[in-house]
Amino acid sequence: MSLADTATLRTRVEETGLLWGLVGLVALLSLLPIGRLVVEGLAPGGQFSTTALGKVLASPATWTATANSLITAISGTVLAVLIGGTVALLATLTDIRARNAFTFCFVLPLMIAPQVTALAWLQLFGPSSTLLKLIGMAPPLGSRNPLYSREGIILLLGLQYAPLVFLTLRAGLRALPKELIEAGLAAGASPLTVLRTVVLPLMTPPLVAGIALCFVSCLGNFGIPAFLGIPGNFLVLPTLIYQRLAGLGPGVLSEVAILSLLIGIIAMVGILLQDFMMRRRDFRITTTSSAARPFELGRWRAPVETLIWTFAILVLALPFLGLLSTSLIPAFGVPLNAATATFANYAYVLFEHAASKRAFVNSFLMSAGAAILIVLICVPLGYFIVWKKSRALRLLNLAAELPYAMPGVVLAIAAILLFLKPLPVLGVSIYNTVWIIVFAYLARFLVLGLRPIVSGYLQIDRTLEEAAQIAGAGLPRRLVTIIFPLVAPAAVAGALLIFLTAFNELTVSALLWSSGAETLGVVVFSFEQGGDSTYASALATITVLVTVALMASTTLFAQKLPQGVLPWRD
Amino acid sequence: MMTQTRRKFIMAAAFGALIAAAPAFAQAPSGKLVLYTSQPEKDAAQTTAAFKKAYPNVEIDIFRSGTTEVMGKLAAEISAGQPSADVLLIADAASMEILKGQKQLLAYPGAKTDGLQAGSFDADKTYFGSKLITTGIAYNTAAKEKPTSWTDLDKPSYKGQISMPSPLYSGAAAIMLSTMTARPDLGWKLFEGLKANEAVAVRGNGAVLRSVATGEKAYGVLVDFMAYNAKKQGSPIDFVFPKEGAPAVTEPVAIVKSTKNEAAAKAFVDFILSDDGQKLALSMGYIPAKPSVGSPAWLPEGTKINVMASDIAAVVKATEADKARFATMFGN
Repeated sequence: MSLADTATLRTRVEETGLLWGLVGLVALLSLLPIGRLVVEGLAPGGQFSTTALGKVLASPATWTATANSLITAISGTVLAVLIGGTVALLATLTDIRARNAFTFCFVLPLMIAPQVTALAWLQLFGPSSTLLKLIGMAPPLGSRNPLYSREGIILLLGLQYAPLVFLTLRAGLRALPKELIEAGLAAGASPLTVLRTVVLPLMTPPLVAGIALCFVSCLGNFGIPAFLGIPGNFLVLPTLIYQRLAGLGPGVLSEVAILSLLIGIIAMVGILLQDFMMRRRDFRITTTSSAARPFELGRWRAPVETLIWTFAILVLALPFLGLLSTSLIPAFGVPLNAATATFANYAYVLFEHAASKRAFVNSFLMSAGAAILIVLICVPLGYFIVWKKSRALRLLNLAAELPYAMPGVVLAIAAILLFLKPLPVLGVSIYNTVWIIVFAYLARFLVLGLRPIVSGYLQIDRTLEEAAQIAGAGLPRRLVTIIFPLVAPAAVAGALLIFLTAFNELTVSALLWSSGAETLGVVVFSFEQGGDSTYASALATITVLVTVALMASTTLFAQKLPQGVLPWRD
Repeated sequence: MMTQTRRKFIMAAAFGALIAAAPAFAQAPSGKLVLYTSQPEKDAAQTTAAFKKAYPNVEIDIFRSGTTEVMGKLAAEISAGQPSADVLLIADAASMEILKGQKQLLAYPGAKTDGLQAGSFDADKTYFGSKLITTGIAYNTAAKEKPTSWTDLDKPSYKGQISMPSPLYSGAAAIMLSTMTARPDLGWKLFEGLKANEAVAVRGNGAVLRSVATGEKAYGVLVDFMAYNAKKQGSPIDFVFPKEGAPAVTEPVAIVKSTKNEAAAKAFVDFILSDDGQKLALSMGYIPAKPSVGSPAWLPEGTKINVMASDIAAVVKATEADKARFATMFGN
C-alpha cells in the first residue's frame, strides 16, 4: 500500500467516524425527545390508544388555535422580514454614518425576553401608560388596550424577530463581493436595479434561512401570545397547550404531546419549502474580495438616518424604559418621581435573594456552555450537510428544527419523561441537575447555530478546502485551519444568538430547574406570577444591562478577531 | 485512655441532649425532603427556612412554580413512573382531590387537625388546608364607584373596566368559577353580565393586580392578600369582600404516596399545621387556617369573612365543563 493510499484510507476512516458520531449526536438531541412524545401521544403507559388523538383532532379549539398560529406566525414573519430586511440593506450597503452603534442598538431588543417585551409594550398604551399620561393623551380608566388583539400579537412578533432576519441577512451581505456590484454600476445600472438583479438573488440563502428561522420562532413563541392573547381569548397552539396542562386530567400529557406534534408538522412544512427553494440553485460566491463600496444616499442620507435611528430607538428604548420605570417604583400604580424612586427592588434581588445570585451564574454558564458546544457540533455538521451532501444528515437537519418549534414547556416534559430514571448503562441520573437543562438547551437551540452556519457554507467557495485536501491535510486539520476560519463569522453569529436566547430563556427551564439550578427566566417568572413585578423588573433590567456590557466588552477585542465575527461590528 | 474517657463523655452529653430533645423530635426525622409548591417565591423561601430551623437534620429541596407547571411536572413524573416530590403545597383543594382520585396521595390520620377551620381539610386526611385565601373585588382608588356585591360587576357603569384571572390558568380562579356558577343567586347569569360588560380574563392573579393597580382597569376579581400587600406598599388599590360571600382556596399540604422519607414528610405537614407554621402564614399576610393564632393586620378588627361554601367533589366534577363553557363565552 502506497503512502498516498494510507493517507486516503485514514481520511476516509476519520470522515466516516466523525459523520456517524454527528448523526448519532443530532439524533440524540432532536429525534429522542420527539420520539418520546410520539410514544406518550399514541401509547401512554405502553398501551396503543388513539383516544387522545381522536379527542384532539375532534376539538374545534385545536383548529381555531392552529389557524390563529398560522396567521400570527406568517404575518409576524412578513413584518419581521420587511423591517429586518430593509434595515439590513440600509445599514450594510449604504453610506449611513455610525453603523456600528446603530447595529448594536437594533440587535439589542433580541436580548429582552419576549414576555418582558410584551409586558413593557402593554404599559406603553392604554390607561396605565406613564408616557401617555405625561403628554396628557392617556385614555380614560378602563379603556381597552389595543395590543390585546391578533394585530397586537403580530406587531410584537414582527418587532421581536426583525433582528433575527437582520443578523442572518447582514452576515450574508458582508460576504457580497464588491466586484459584482461595481460591475453592475459600471454597466450603467441604477442602484435599485443592482439591488434587484444582483444583490437580492445572491442573498437568497441568508434571506430564506432568516425567513424559516423567523417563522419557526413565531410559531413556538409563548410569551407574546400568552400576555396579549389570553385577555382576548385569542389562543394559539402554545397557549392552548399551556391551557390543557392547567386542565390536568388523565390523558392530559397525551393530548399535549399530540398538540406539540401538530406544531412540529406545521414547522416542518415551512422548513421543507425552504429546503426545496435552496436546492434549486447554486449561490456560491468568492469571499476573497473586500466589502463593496457603499451606495451613496446623497441628499437622502439625513432623512434615512433619522428614520432608522428613530425606529431603532423606539423599538429598543420604549420597552426598556417601561422595564426600568417599573423596577424603580415601590409598588404598582405609584407614580415615578424623585420622591418615590427607590433602589430597594435592586437591593433585594442583588443582596437578599439567594436564588437570584445563583441564577445569574447558572444562566451564564449554561448559555455559554450551550453556545460553545453547539458551534463545535454545527461546524462539522454544516460541512457534511452542505459540502458532502450527506443524505442522512440532511434529514436530521430537518429534525433538528422540531425541538425549537415546540413550546419550551413541551420539550421540558419530553426531557422529564426521558431522564427521570437514571441513564441506561451509565446508571447516573441527570434529572434535577443542571445537565437536564443543558440537554434541553442543546436540543432546542441547535438550529439557531446550524442555520447561520449552513447559509455560511452555502456562500463559501470550496476551492481552498479542496486544495488543502489534495495537499494531504486530514479532515480534523482542515476543519481547524481552513474551514472554521472561513465560517467563523456565521458561527459566531450563531453562538451569539444562542447565548442571548438561552440567557433570557424561560419556558424550557420552568419545569426543569431544581434547588440550586435556578435560571434567570425562572426567577423573573416566579416574581411576576406572585404579583412581585417590581422585583421581576429589577432583575430583568440587570439582565439586560449585563448583556449589553458583555456585548460592549467583546467589541474591545474586535480588532483582534477576523472581520465580521461580531455581528454588530463592521 | 484519656481519649476514651473524653469520647465517653461526649457520647453521654450527646445522649443527654437527645433525651432532652425527645418530646419535640419524637422520631427526629432526617434526610432529604422534596417539596413542590406554588407559593409565591418569597413565601416559599420563608417557609423552607422556618422548617429547616425546626428540623435542622432535614435537607429540603424545593421546586416552585405556578400551579400549572407544578402539576405538569408532577404529571410527567407520574407518567414516567416515579414522582420525585415528597410533599405538595399547592393553591387549591381541587387539584389535590384529582391527585387523591388517582391514588397518588398518602393519608396521614395522625395529623393534628385540632383547632383548624372546619372543612379546611379532607375527611380522609389526605390533604390539609394551610390558610384561607379568599377572592373578592379589588378596585383602583380612582374608580368612580365602590363595589359591594358580585352583581355590581354586571352594572352598565362598569362596562369595559373589569379584569379577572382566567380559570384556564389559575387554580384559584377555577374553584371560584365552579363555586359561583353553582350558586342560584349568581350562576352563569353573573358571567353573562361580565361578558356583556367586556370583562377580560387575564393569565393569573398577578396580572389582575397589575391591571388594577396601574389603572389599566378600574376593577378586578382578585385574591385578598395580593390586594392588601400592594395597598400596604402604596399602590392605589383597595379591596372588598362582596356581600354574597367570597369564594376561597385553602392552599393545602399533602404527602405524595411514593415518598421516600415519610417521617420528614409528616414532620412537614405537622409543621405547617402547628401554631408556629400558622403564625408564619399570618406574618406573610394570610388568613391562617387555625383561627386561634389571630388574623392579619389588614383585616379590620372583628370582620367576619363570609366564605362561600364550596363542595370540592362537585367542583372537581363540574370544573372541566365549566372551564369549557367559560372559554367559549369569553372567546372572540
